[in-house]
Amino acid sequence: MKFMKDKKVLIVIPAYNEEENIEKVIKELKSDASFADILVVNDCSKDNTLEVIKKNKVKYLSNIFNMKYAMAIQTGLKYAKKHNYDYVIQFDADGQHIANEAVKILKEAIASKSDIVIGSRYLIDTGYPCPIFRRIGTKVFEKIIYIFCKQKIKDPLSGFQCLNKKVIDYYAKMGNYPEFPDANLIIEMLLKGYKIKEVPVKMRLRKTGESMHGGIIKPIKYMINMLYSIVFIIIQNPKKKRKKMEV
Amino acid sequence: MKNIYFIIVAVSSFFYVIIEVRKKRFSIKESFWWVIASIVMIILAIFPHLIDNFAHMLGIDYPPSLLFLICIMFLAFINFKSSRKITMLQEKVIEMAEHITLLEGDDKK
Repeated sequence: MKFMKDKKVLIVIPAYNEEENIEKVIKELKSDASFADILVVNDCSKDNTLEVIKKNKVKYLSNIFNMKYAMAIQTGLKYAKKHNYDYVIQFDADGQHIANEAVKILKEAIASKSDIVIGSRYLIDTGYPCPIFRRIGTKVFEKIIYIFCKQKIKDPLSGFQCLNKKVIDYYAKMGNYPEFPDANLIIEMLLKGYKIKEVPVKMRLRKTGESMHGGIIKPIKYMINMLYSIVFIIIQNPKKKRKKMEV
Repeated sequence: MKNIYFIIVAVSSFFYVIIEVRKKRFSIKESFWWVIASIVMIILAIFPHLIDNFAHMLGIDYPPSLLFLICIMFLAFINFKSSRKITMLQEKVIEMAEHITLLEGDDKK
């Protein structure tokens, strides 16, 4: 790919109990995103995910106990830092993300020299159906981000992101990657002066497996955690500090 | 205003938690219940009659005993949560230590 100019790109796929989806995801990435290396981080799955990964001959890491989504991503980021990758694309193992769209967000990251490029479902109408709870959550976080950072992020809950070296180095450090890396992390990075851009992407609905935010209690707990976390992110990044960084 | 001392103590503990989180010596997640507890302390220090009303509602004759009950229940809850976390961490540390031992064993071959 011409636009890449010797850039080393790693696609990080955190996988937990995804034996039914992971094979398709790997095959799709191998054919449509062959410019990048693929790393699957098996988060101590209870099913045959690890066997499926081994069968498909991709690079993989396997956590010795379940560390949850964010820490699985951080393991991948530490790997990227160790092996000197220029860009990391976070890619879901449940088949929601489309390999062709990964090219789009990488292209944008290189062209616009953004630190983070988010693949957004809601920037333009891509026809992605959204449950009411998620829609409300997205709107609330969009408004909060705008109030504190003066930037519109239409899909702050998207895990489909491309990160440059600067961000990889920052996230890979201990304590810099939270348990739920969504709107709170976007606010933190914007307040710290990182450049974030959104690109419209298409996504599929997941077919099988368990969603991270399924049910009724989990989304409510998630919402409280997220709002609480945002309050502290704002306290931890006071205005004086923010101005200093801008200068 | 005799409850000014209680307000000072409650507000101080609230800010102590906030400062610790700000300096990243206390994680945002773990601070949640301590922040809630200090907010409740501030509310009860400003409106001490609230505890009397609650005690009356629950049929408790001596209101301070309700306060002690709430405190004991909160501390027991925090202690239980901490014990559970310690158990999980202990297991993970053992697992990790065994894993490292096995890796080093492989290297020595």
